[in-house]
Amino acid sequence: MAGTSKGEVLLQLKNVTKSFGGLTAVDSINLEIRKGEIFSIIGPNGAGKTTVFNLITGIYQPTSGEIIFNGSSIKNLSPDRVLRRGIARTFQNIRLFNNMTIMENAMVGQHPFIPSDLFSVTFRLPNYRAAEKKAHNRALELLAFFGSELVMRKEEYAVNLAYAVRRRLEIVRALGSRPKLLLLDEPTAGMNDAETADAIKYIQRLRQEFDLTILLIEHKLQVTMGISDRIAVLDYGKKIAEGIPADIQHNDLVIEAYLGRKVEGA
Amino acid sequence: MSASPSHFQQKMQNPLKSLGIRKKIGDFLNNTKFLNRSLSWYVTGWRVGVFWGLIALFLPQLLNFSTNFLDQTYFAPNILLLDAILCGIYVMLALGLNIVVGYAGLLDLGYVAFFVIGSYTVAFATSGIIRNIHSQVVNIPALTFWEAIPLAALIAGFMGVLLGAPTLRLRGDYLAIVTLGFGEIVPIVIKDVPFFYGALGFQVPPAPVVNTPFGQVDFGNPLDFSAFYYLTLAVIILIVMFNILLRNSSIGRAWIAIREDELAASASGVNLVRIKLMAFGLGAAIGGIGGVFNGVMTSSISYDQFSFQVSISVLIMIVLGGIGSIPGVIVGAILLRFIDVYVISTISNMLQTNTALANPSNPFHFLVSFNLNTTKFLIFGLVLLLMIILRPQGIIPNKRRQLELKGVGLAPEELSVIGEIEREEEGSSAPPESVEGLGDI
Ligand SMILES: Nc1ncnc2c1ncn2[C@@H]1O[C@H](COP(=O)(O)OP(=O)(O)OP(=O)(O)O)[C@@H](O)[C@H]1O
Ligand SMILES: [Mg+2]
Repeated sequence: MAGTSKGEVLLQLKNVTKSFGGLTAVDSINLEIRKGEIFSIIGPNGAGKTTVFNLITGIYQPTSGEIIFNGSSIKNLSPDRVLRRGIARTFQNIRLFNNMTIMENAMVGQHPFIPSDLFSVTFRLPNYRAAEKKAHNRALELLAFFGSELVMRKEEYAVNLAYAVRRRLEIVRALGSRPKLLLLDEPTAGMNDAETADAIKYIQRLRQEFDLTILLIEHKLQVTMGISDRIAVLDYGKKIAEGIPADIQHNDLVIEAYLGRKVEGA
Repeated sequence: MSASPSHFQQKMQNPLKSLGIRKKIGDFLNNTKFLNRSLSWYVTGWRVGVFWGLIALFLPQLLNFSTNFLDQTYFAPNILLLDAILCGIYVMLALGLNIVVGYAGLLDLGYVAFFVIGSYTVAFATSGIIRNIHSQVVNIPALTFWEAIPLAALIAGFMGVLLGAPTLRLRGDYLAIVTLGFGEIVPIVIKDVPFFYGALGFQVPPAPVVNTPFGQVDFGNPLDFSAFYYLTLAVIILIVMFNILLRNSSIGRAWIAIREDELAASASGVNLVRIKLMAFGLGAAIGGIGGVFNGVMTSSISYDQFSFQVSISVLIMIVLGGIGSIPGVIVGAILLRFIDVYVISTISNMLQTNTALANPSNPFHFLVSFNLNTTKFLIFGLVLLLMIILRPQGIIPNKRRQLELKGVGLAPEELSVIGEIEREEEGSSAPPESVEGLGDI
């Protein structure tokens, strides 16, 4: 594993804080994600994991702190501009365009690469037509990454897809923007064991085939421990630990955060 | 006595079925042969578009021909043609609003504003008269009618963007209220700002005479509206083509994406500001073009022609026809105009001239003074209510919308013939551009 090797830093969070009224959902977090690694964020429910994703992707603006991607600040950028910088994501509670076809979902993912000015579109200028064609072919390639099912059903509406397949399509949409960094929010949530095992495989394949850095939120320890290069643990908005999986597994604070709470609750 | 109540009940339960109108029409179409095929063949699939397209294309000739067997006092061709043109103007409005509401999913209740702007733009631009802030008449260089069309589209489009900009963060009800306010403000500004001659009304010069290689064509001839009719039809066809091009493009996809899930669209790279303003601007520009045609057609415009009722009518048209569906909103516009212009006034006339009702001892005597035109929105409301209960996806549904409604378990599974037609139509570029012919049936 590339766990301890000091690669180039791709994404850096410096003292990032996010408060909602009185609640500090993310509390002075520092993170460094290196190029090419699979980095996992774990932590109990409500720890602030999804909020970190929302801060990185511009859906929320940090209350304080700095977010640096690829050497420049992406703080206060709108989600579409963050995407154009090279960060794509999926959502914990899958947000596909249900009443668009599979193909259309994959095409929307490539929106930044297709001209959408009135002139090019109305007159179907050569650059527009070329971009549409290219996007269509690329969509087919991306769908084919997950085997033949999505390709064969490309004209079907996304709403018809089974749960695990919807997660895949959301990844296809995210890949459309040719991201450098892919954020996956609980990509195996709600999946059975076979589907989870499959997801573990394709997450690793994603990194290889698309030359990606992957930031992962995951509850299932068999997933995070198996594929992560490094793991950060959040609890009540604070980072309580960070390290390679073997270290995290034996960290007292982590065990307490996960198990201690259970004892309290019982 | 014993048999009649049940018969009556039966009739009440399904008047259409017991009268067998549908069946009769169906039988007629199936059994009548023309060139070895039954008539029903000619009016199914893509051919239905061609059928109505041909009727629209030859409407002036058909109306002239009808004078051979129809009473001219009721069926004066030129007056019917005028109705068809006014109907065509509403078709333009419906197609424009469909971009904002149908594609982008932004509820706009103030669409009349752009209609006003278009009408006044053509009035000022072609008359060459404006007033300064001291109410003095100032002559400005007059533009031709042809130049006024793109100018009105530009100004209305710009105003659409101006309205859109502050409302970008608003959704649903809030957006509806702000746009509603905008639709109210524009006519009031026109009424109260002297510059606009609002309270007096403004004379709009008629459409011009054009010299062509085939002779003079008078678009403004009040005795023969056919030239202007064809102009209206041509503009509608252009707007339809424009809508189709937009719908099947990166812009159309982005509109549908923001309608489906704004956050996910934004996270997929859709610039929300840009794509929403585009919808507002383009919808408004088409409304402005509708306004130009309205201006020259009604020849005298004043603020009170532009009420909230126009916005609501256009919205009802697209809901009735099928939100997001191009043939749907065209049919919706024509149908509502037909109900408005013919059905309501006919019923109203019948009530007022009915001799039995004229008798003061008749318990229904009060109906004589019942002016249906003042209560027509009640009727529209009922039509809409019925539609939402029976067929929420509209007369000619948009595929996607149908799915959305099915998703929440509202829409009946059954697809009517018209629904089938639409599915076949989707790919073809020949929707029924205009069905003005309905006016004579
Ligand atoms: N928009 C918001 N407004 C107010 N509070 C919020 C908002 N978003 C998140 N929170 C709060 O911030 C805290 C962290 O939420 P977050 O969704 O980041 O947790 P999470 O770690 O992703 O949990 P889970 O494992 O359940 O997904 C929670 O207490 C949540 O209620
Ligand atoms: Mg979460």
